[in-house]
Amino acid sequence: MKKQKILNITVFFLFILLCVGSVFAQKGPRDKFVFGPLNPIKMPKAETVELKNGLKLFLVEDHEYPTIDLRAMVKTGSVYEPSTKIGLGTITAQVLRTGGTAFQTGDEIDKELETMAATIETHMDRDYSYLTVSVLKEDIDKALKILTDILMSPAFAEDKIELAKIQQNSIISRRNDEIMQIANREFRKLIYGKESPYAHHPEYTDTGAVTREDILDFYKRYFYPNNTTMAVWGDFNAKAMVTKLRNTLGKWKSAKISVPPLPLVKYEYKYTVNLINKPDVNQSNIMIGHIGGLMSNPDYPALNVMNSILSYDRMFKKIRTDEGLAYAVWGFYGAFYQYPGVFWNGAQTKSESTVYAIELMLGEMKRITEEEVTDEELARAKDEYLNSFVFNFDSKEKIVRRLMTYAYYGYPLDFMDRVKAGVEKVTKADVIKVAKKYLRPEKVQILVVGKKEDFDKPLSSLGPVNVIDIAIPPPPRPME
Amino acid sequence: MHRKRGFYLKLILSLAFIAVFTCFSLAQTFEAVKNQVKVHTLKNGMKFIVLERHDAPVVSFHVYADVGSANESYGITGISHLLEHMAFKGSKIVGTTDYEAEIKVLNELDALYDEIKKEKAKVKADAEKIKEMEEQFETLRLKAKEYVVTDEFVDMMSKEGDRQLNAYTSFDATQYIDSLPSNKLEFWMSMTSDRFLNPVFREFFKERDVVMEERRLGLETRPIGRLVEDFVATVFKAHPYHHHVIGHMSDLRNITRQDVEEYFRKYYGPSNLTVGIVGDVKAEEVFRMAELYFERIPSEPKPEPIRTKEPEQWGERRVTVEAISQPIIIVGYHRPAARHEDDAALEALANIIGQGRSSRLYQVLVKEKKVAIHVECLNGFPGNKFPNLIAFLAVPAQNHTSKECLELIDEEIGKIKEESVTPEDLTKFKRNAEKDILDQMKSNARMAALLTYADVVLGEWMLTFDQVQEIRAITEEDVKRVANTYLIKKHRTIGEVVPEK
Repeated sequence: MKKQKILNITVFFLFILLCVGSVFAQKGPRDKFVFGPLNPIKMPKAETVELKNGLKLFLVEDHEYPTIDLRAMVKTGSVYEPSTKIGLGTITAQVLRTGGTAFQTGDEIDKELETMAATIETHMDRDYSYLTVSVLKEDIDKALKILTDILMSPAFAEDKIELAKIQQNSIISRRNDEIMQIANREFRKLIYGKESPYAHHPEYTDTGAVTREDILDFYKRYFYPNNTTMAVWGDFNAKAMVTKLRNTLGKWKSAKISVPPLPLVKYEYKYTVNLINKPDVNQSNIMIGHIGGLMSNPDYPALNVMNSILSYDRMFKKIRTDEGLAYAVWGFYGAFYQYPGVFWNGAQTKSESTVYAIELMLGEMKRITEEEVTDEELARAKDEYLNSFVFNFDSKEKIVRRLMTYAYYGYPLDFMDRVKAGVEKVTKADVIKVAKKYLRPEKVQILVVGKKEDFDKPLSSLGPVNVIDIAIPPPPRPME
Repeated sequence: MHRKRGFYLKLILSLAFIAVFTCFSLAQTFEAVKNQVKVHTLKNGMKFIVLERHDAPVVSFHVYADVGSANESYGITGISHLLEHMAFKGSKIVGTTDYEAEIKVLNELDALYDEIKKEKAKVKADAEKIKEMEEQFETLRLKAKEYVVTDEFVDMMSKEGDRQLNAYTSFDATQYIDSLPSNKLEFWMSMTSDRFLNPVFREFFKERDVVMEERRLGLETRPIGRLVEDFVATVFKAHPYHHHVIGHMSDLRNITRQDVEEYFRKYYGPSNLTVGIVGDVKAEEVFRMAELYFERIPSEPKPEPIRTKEPEQWGERRVTVEAISQPIIIVGYHRPAARHEDDAALEALANIIGQGRSSRLYQVLVKEKKVAIHVECLNGFPGNKFPNLIAFLAVPAQNHTSKECLELIDEEIGKIKEESVTPEDLTKFKRNAEKDILDQMKSNARMAALLTYADVVLGEWMLTFDQVQEIRAITEEDVKRVANTYLIKKHRTIGEVVPEK
């Protein structure tokens, strides 16, 4: 009788303990955690405005700190560089910023910006050019004035063109100093083609051929407000900021322009083995893959889940954790917004385990197309994606920049939510289906940058070896 | 010409205005954030610094272990970083199917490893015996592996949405970072307290291999990596900044699991750990949970400070690395530790001479003389906790030499030593320093890192914000004085990557 009572009391206290939960009880890592509801995400209101000159604006107020940031994307890209003047786009973007304006020299701009702890930067990528501004809010007017001058009346001063060319040539002369850089560059050429605008890089002859007229021409072809999408975030009132922008960048003249469609990528699946011999290294840089796809592909959510499993649960756990063969190892089917990405697997391993590591990686690529992933793998990959989804909203910057990027590429503005909805539905059957559909492990291109005489087996054990020469073509002799 | 002068005048006038205005508004911002920071030290000495930031339902964690490669001695170089890797291998609970059975095999494996090492060390080693033992070793290793749940710690953290699961080791410290949805605070407490209470360094030998690959990747196959290793070895003949964080290959090949356990016991006592937590949490709840989860870690004495100090340098030193590469040059001068009173003035010097497009060196070497494509001043290299370097790195332009770069760097240093800097230079520096802190404060993860760094290395977390006062107080005279005190040729070391013939 008494015993029963004690038991009851114990049960009662246990019950209380459970109710108050973590107040008293320590939980072990394997105990069940019941997570309370997450505080709601405070979605900021994004203002979307198009100025009369066609400049598209996304604005989000963020009053936590007294700064203002801006980022713009201009529809252009290094893919539009003429094949004899590769690097022209990059030089144009650089000298746009460094070459001064009708009102100030580039050096004066550098000084004025740094004096107010502000930055304005420009950059050319394959399929876009971007500009960034970061400034304390009290200096926004001055920064906007400079930005407007840069975009509307750039001077492209000769001495800064010369400087950009010296820098381009110096970079060419240094491009074989780091094996990671060699591997990335040459693998891209294997996938997109040696001459492809998606892989091309300048030679000395290209630098020599670029003139100021070419730069002006490139600028005049693309840099217009109706060809630009812009995100602005920070400590401002959105309406007032639109007025400011209207009074500055609103004066930037639009023009009739037609940006040509992006060059097509033609890819022929084939199995190749390629070597760049580097006698001065003790570790091989390995890259394996073929062409990838687009983010607009309806299978993109399933491919996302497959990538997480292939890269982490398979490649990382096998090559790194179990075998200790590499520090970095990965494998994923890459996708871009508007031109195909690369199915890209990579690792760096000591020369003596080169071929062994390649065989293991090929094995994992094959396995994911042949066997269903496990329930645990699927759950981990999906949980990781879905539970970390909130980090897509942890700053106003991320939210507004995403809107701008989607608008630039003509993607639906809720693209990410659609991907998330897709990921939620992905099954094991979906994963193997997309793996089978998109991966061709038997038709991959293999590139090794390393010291061949130290390899565990000759590379030819994987197939006929194509040796790639990376010698830099010397600059043309100056006229005597 | 006329317009130009007008411009400068306007610029100078506007600067005076800006300086006053900024001091006011930014000072308020820093003060407001500072007042929200809350601190609690547990009975065992472990310190928690919390900043509530409720903008988004996420939280970042930063565990700062006050141990880096500078704490290592001969034979175990690289062990701080190796331990960091091992801290992802789980505990008595995480990463194993049966700890009791597993640990027996791990101990056998260690014993056998010692036997093999002993045999190999003999003048007349028995090759047959070694081969036999190595086979046995592989069998035992695979037996131990049967108990392992591969990467379970990483799996568990990433499943809950850890966007940032990572760690890094420097000359000064080992830092572990996580970012989780903010309703997972207790999960982090449980996982992390278990991680540092009962770690098990399983799969040790394979992870050592991974670290060796990391050494080849980051250091041995890269000209700049080789240069940094040899450069610090030349600059510091006595102080343990002498060896690179990654450690010597021969040490990595020989460090044992017991070495790592001993090192862990010595340096991972709770009083040597400082935690920064920034995000959508309540400080009181964090402290309550910290007591519940972390107070069970038994307290340990704070490890003895490093004894060795770098003696005065007797003359300029030079070191070269030959590589199939274009040239690179680095010039380093000794400077005191970050908590020294000259720190802010040195920051000003570094910024004015070599940080940014309008800095003296960039202006002259890159823009005017076009002898370099890149030049910058690295202040606080290779660490901050102990006396370190203010260094200048230059990447010569095509057809130009390191020597040309060095001559121009010397010229610019000479000018500052003689004439000091201008008031505009100083205003620029101060404003940039403040903007830089502000930009970092926008990120929970960076903020957590700043708070723990300031607390451990500078001595007080408040200095994250209060260092701004020191920065504001710097004068032209201060900059000139530190330039003359520290930029002494006799006390410098020059390191170069030289193209192999």
